[in-house]
Amino acid sequence: MRYEIRVDGLMSETLAHAFPELDHVTMSGQTVLYGPVVDDAHLYGLLTRCQSLGLRVVELRQLPEPPPEPPRPPESG
Amino acid sequence: MATRDADSTREPGDDTGTREPDTPRTDPLGEPFLHTRFAPPARPATFLHRPRLTQRLDRALDTPLTMVNGPAGAGKTLLVADWAARLGQPVAWYTGEAAGQGAGMFWASVLHALRTAGVEPPPGVGRPADAGRVDHGLLARLADGLSGRDRPAVLVLDDFDRQTARQVADQLEFVLHHSGPGLRLVLVTRTEPLLPLHRYRAADAMTEIRDADLALTPEEAAGLLALHGLHLPDDAVRGLVARTRGWAAGVRLCAMAAGESADPVAYLREFEAGRSTVADFLLAEVLTRQPARTQELLLRVSVLDRFRPELAEALTGRAGLEPALAALHRENAFVEDLGHSWYRLHPLFGEILRAHLRARHPGLEPELHRRAAHWLGAADAVPEALVHGAAARDWHFTAAALVSDLALGQFFTAPRAGELAALFAPLGPDTRGPAPDLVRAARDLAGPDPARGLAQLRRARAGVGPGGPAGVGAGAAAVGPASAGTAPAVDSAAPAVPRLTPTPAPPALSSPLSGTAPELLLGHALLEAVAARRAGAVGRAEAAVTAARELRCEVPARLLDKHPELSALLLAQVGAARTWAGRFTDARAAFAEATARPGGVATALPRQDCLGQLALIEHLEGRPAKAERTATAALAEAERYGLDRPGSGTLARLVLAAVAVDRADLTRARTLLDGTPVPAAPDPSATACRALVTARLLLARGDHRAAAEAVGTAVAADTPSPWAEVHWALVASAAHLADGRPDSAVKVLDDVPYAAGPAHAAEAARALLAAGDTVRALALAGEPDTGSRAAPGVRIAVALVRAGAALEAGDTATACGLLARALPEARREGLRRPFLEAGPGVRRLLGRPPLHALATGWLLPSAGPPPPARVGGRPPVGGRPEGGPPVVEELSGREREVLLGLAQLLSAEEIAAELYVSVNTVKTHLKSVYRKLGVNRRGDAVRRGREQGLL
Repeated sequence: MRYEIRVDGLMSETLAHAFPELDHVTMSGQTVLYGPVVDDAHLYGLLTRCQSLGLRVVELRQLPEPPPEPPRPPESG
Repeated sequence: MATRDADSTREPGDDTGTREPDTPRTDPLGEPFLHTRFAPPARPATFLHRPRLTQRLDRALDTPLTMVNGPAGAGKTLLVADWAARLGQPVAWYTGEAAGQGAGMFWASVLHALRTAGVEPPPGVGRPADAGRVDHGLLARLADGLSGRDRPAVLVLDDFDRQTARQVADQLEFVLHHSGPGLRLVLVTRTEPLLPLHRYRAADAMTEIRDADLALTPEEAAGLLALHGLHLPDDAVRGLVARTRGWAAGVRLCAMAAGESADPVAYLREFEAGRSTVADFLLAEVLTRQPARTQELLLRVSVLDRFRPELAEALTGRAGLEPALAALHRENAFVEDLGHSWYRLHPLFGEILRAHLRARHPGLEPELHRRAAHWLGAADAVPEALVHGAAARDWHFTAAALVSDLALGQFFTAPRAGELAALFAPLGPDTRGPAPDLVRAARDLAGPDPARGLAQLRRARAGVGPGGPAGVGAGAAAVGPASAGTAPAVDSAAPAVPRLTPTPAPPALSSPLSGTAPELLLGHALLEAVAARRAGAVGRAEAAVTAARELRCEVPARLLDKHPELSALLLAQVGAARTWAGRFTDARAAFAEATARPGGVATALPRQDCLGQLALIEHLEGRPAKAERTATAALAEAERYGLDRPGSGTLARLVLAAVAVDRADLTRARTLLDGTPVPAAPDPSATACRALVTARLLLARGDHRAAAEAVGTAVAADTPSPWAEVHWALVASAAHLADGRPDSAVKVLDDVPYAAGPAHAAEAARALLAAGDTVRALALAGEPDTGSRAAPGVRIAVALVRAGAALEAGDTATACGLLARALPEARREGLRRPFLEAGPGVRRLLGRPPLHALATGWLLPSAGPPPPARVGGRPPVGGRPEGGPPVVEELSGREREVLLGLAQLLSAEEIAAELYVSVNTVKTHLKSVYRKLGVNRRGDAVRRGREQGLL
C-alpha cells in the first residue's frame, strides 16, 4: 500500500524527521507526506503521530500502486 | 547511599512495607502507585480560567458520561483540573499510562483513584492482580457498590486515548451503566473513545466538549496573551486566532515567541501571513530563542516520560537544574509540574522535541536511555531502569540490574512475566557474561522454548557455577561510563554542555556484578532448581535449594522481602522434585512452608503449583475428597488474582480428572483431560498423571492395548518415580487381565516397588486378587496400617481384598460385614471404581439386601426393577437388564441428545442439523452410545435406553 497524507502548513525539515519512512514535499501551503504504508496498524500509527505532533491532516488517500515519482501537483488550488 | 535516591524516586507515603490487605498501595506489577497519576496537575500562573467551559462542565454532574475531546495542546486537562478544583467535592483522577497498559492495570488504577478521592469501594471488591486482565466479578461488585451511593463519585480519566486495551472501553461502559446515578465519568481524550457514544447522545445522557468548543475565542485569546504580558489590538488577536484556529498551545507559543521579539505586533503579523505548520514552527522559534543550555536540557529530557531534576542532571551532565525546570514550568512553555519534584514535558512538545533531538544529535538517543537507565537503577527504580536499559540495548547493564535485584523469578510468576519476556526478547546470543547468560536462560526456561533455556543454563553454569571462570570482564567493560562509540555527537553539537560527569547517581548498580556475586549465584540456583525439577532430578533440586538457602544470608534482606516469589519458587521446585521421587513427607514439608507464607499476587503461581502437587499426593495416598479440595484450592489461588488461563494449574486439573476416574465419572474425567493443554515445560508428575488418567479412560472403554501403550510412553525424567511405576504396573496388570492373561497380570506386579506406600500396596493387592493370586493379595493387604489413621482409599481397598478372599472361602457373612463398613466411607469419598472393579461375587452381594440399601443411589441405580424413573442427577447406565451389576460408563449429555434423536426416528443428518454439529460428530456419538449400552443397532439402543430410563 502507498498512501499520501496531506497536512496543513509547511513542515520544517526537522519535523519531517519524525516521519523517516515517508518522503515529503511542500506545495501550496501544505506538506504532502507519501510513501509505502505496511498495513492498517502502520496507517493509524502515522495518523496518531500527526496528531501528537500537532499536525492538521487535511487529506488522506491511497495511491495507485506503482507511482514512480512524487505525487502529481493538485489540479486545483 | 542508595536509600536517598530510593526515597527520591518512591514518593512520600508510598511505603510498600506497610500494606493493608484491602487497600493496596501497589499496582498489579507490584510497583507503588505514583501520586502524580492520581491528582489533577497544578494550574500554572499563566492559566486562563474559562467560565464558558467550566459552566458547561457543571452539566457533568447531571449526565453519566462527559467527554472532553480535542487535539494535544487544546487545554483539555487543565480545563478539567480547573473545574475539578472549583467543584467543592473530591474528584477521583487518573492519568493514563503512556505504554500500552493492560485492563488489570487500568482497573487497579481506577480503584486506587477512587480510594484516593475518599470513595471507598465496597468491601470484598478485590483487586486485579494480572496487569493484563480483570475479573468480571470485580467490575460487577464495583458497579454494585457505586450504584448504592447517595452522592455520585466523579471519576476523571485523563489521557484516556492512551488506554488502548480494547476490552477496557466495554468494561468501562459496563461499570458506568450498572453504577446508575452513583458514578459520573469524565473522559479527557484526544481520540473518540470506543464507548457507544450515540446511545448516550440519543438519551441526552452525555456532556460533550469538543475541539470547536475548546478553541479560544478572540476574547479568551486576548486574556491569555495578557497573562503573558502581551496587549495587542483586537484585529491582531483575531488574526492570531484565525491562524491558529484558536488552538491554545499555538496561541501560547505565539505569545512566548512574540514576547521575545522587539516588535510583537509585527512579529505576529508576519506569523499570520506565513504558511508553516503551527506547532512545528512556533516550537522551533521558541526553542531557538532559549539559551543553549536550556535547549539542550529540553532535547535530552525528551526521551523520558517523566523526570526529576537529578535525573535531568544525569542526562545533561549539569548540576543544579532544579531552578531551570521550575522556571520552565513557570513560563508554562514545555514543562509540566507533576508535584513532588516530578516533571514531564508537555506531550505535544515532547514529540516535537524528540524529532529535534534526532535531527540535532543523531545517535544520541540510545546514550540518553543508557544514562537514564543507570540513574534509575542506582535509585532503585528497577522497572523503569530496565525499560531504558532495553531501549539503549545496554544488555549487560539491564541483565545485571535484573539479576542483582533478585528479580529473575519474575519470569516464572505473575504479574511481570510477559513484560519481562517482551523486554528481553531482543537480547541476542552475542551478549556474553554471567548476567546476560542467566537472563537468557530464565527467559527461555519460562518461555515457549524451554529446551533452549536448558542450553542457555549450561552456558550460564560455566560463568557462575562452582569453579567456573568468573567471566566478570565482559560485563564490566560495558557497564562503565559512556563508551566512545555513542558519545561524541553530544559534545561536538553542543559545546556549551560540559562532558558527562558521574553525577549524583550512586554507583551501587553501575558496578557490574562480579562472577561470584551472591545475587548471581542465587539466580543461578533458582534456575538450576527449575531445571532439576523438570528433569525429575531430586538430588540436583535439593542441592540447588540448599545452595540458595546459604546464599540468602549474603544478599540484602530488603531484596528478599521485595521478591517473595523467589523463596516460593524454590520451595515449589524442591517440593515437586520430592513428590516425583515419592518422598511425600518431605514434599509436604516444603509445600507447607511455601503455603504458610502470606499470600499475594507475586507468589500466587508458585502457591498454585504447591497446592497442585499436594493434591496429587492426597490422591496418591488414597484421599480423593481431600485431593479434590486441594486441587480446587489450587485453581482458586490463581483465580483470585485473575490468573486462571489455559495452561495454569495443569496438575490440579489432572488430579481432578484422576479423582473423577476413581469416582467412575468418566465423562468428567475426559472433559477435564481434554481441557488441560500440555504446557511447554511439563512437570514429570503432571505428565505421569496425564498418562495414568488417559490409560484408565482407555481401559474403561475396553481398549486395553492402547491403555498399556499410554503408560508405556515414558516420562522424560532422570530418575524413575516409585508411584508412577506402581500405577503403570497396575494399569498393565488390568490390561493383561482384561485380555485374559491372568498370569501376565500377576507377573507385572512382581517388580513393583511395594515400599512406595500403603496406598500402593493396597492397590496392588486389589490387582493381585483380581488376577487370582489371593494368597499374595491377602499378604499385601495385611501390611498396610488399616487402622483409623489409614487413608479412606487404603481402608476401602483392603476391605475389598479381604471381602473377596472371604467370599472365595465361602464366608459370605464376613464379606458382607467388611463391605457394610466400607460402603459408607466410600460413599463419603465418592469412590466407585474399587467396587466396579471388584469381582462378580462382591458385585452380586452389593445387589442384594442388606448391602443393596447402602449401595443404592450412588453406586447402584436408585431403584430396583422395574426400570427406575430418573431420580435426580445422572442415573448410571448400561447395567444388565436383570438389574445386575453397576456399570461402567454414563452417557454424556450430547450422547443422550443423540439417543433422543434416535428414538424420534431421526436420521443422523437430521440429528446433526438439530444439534448444530457435523454428521461425523453425530456418528461418533452414536458409536459411543452403542458401545456404552452394549448394542449394535439403533433399535436396540432405543430399547436399552428406555429400559435404563434415559428416554
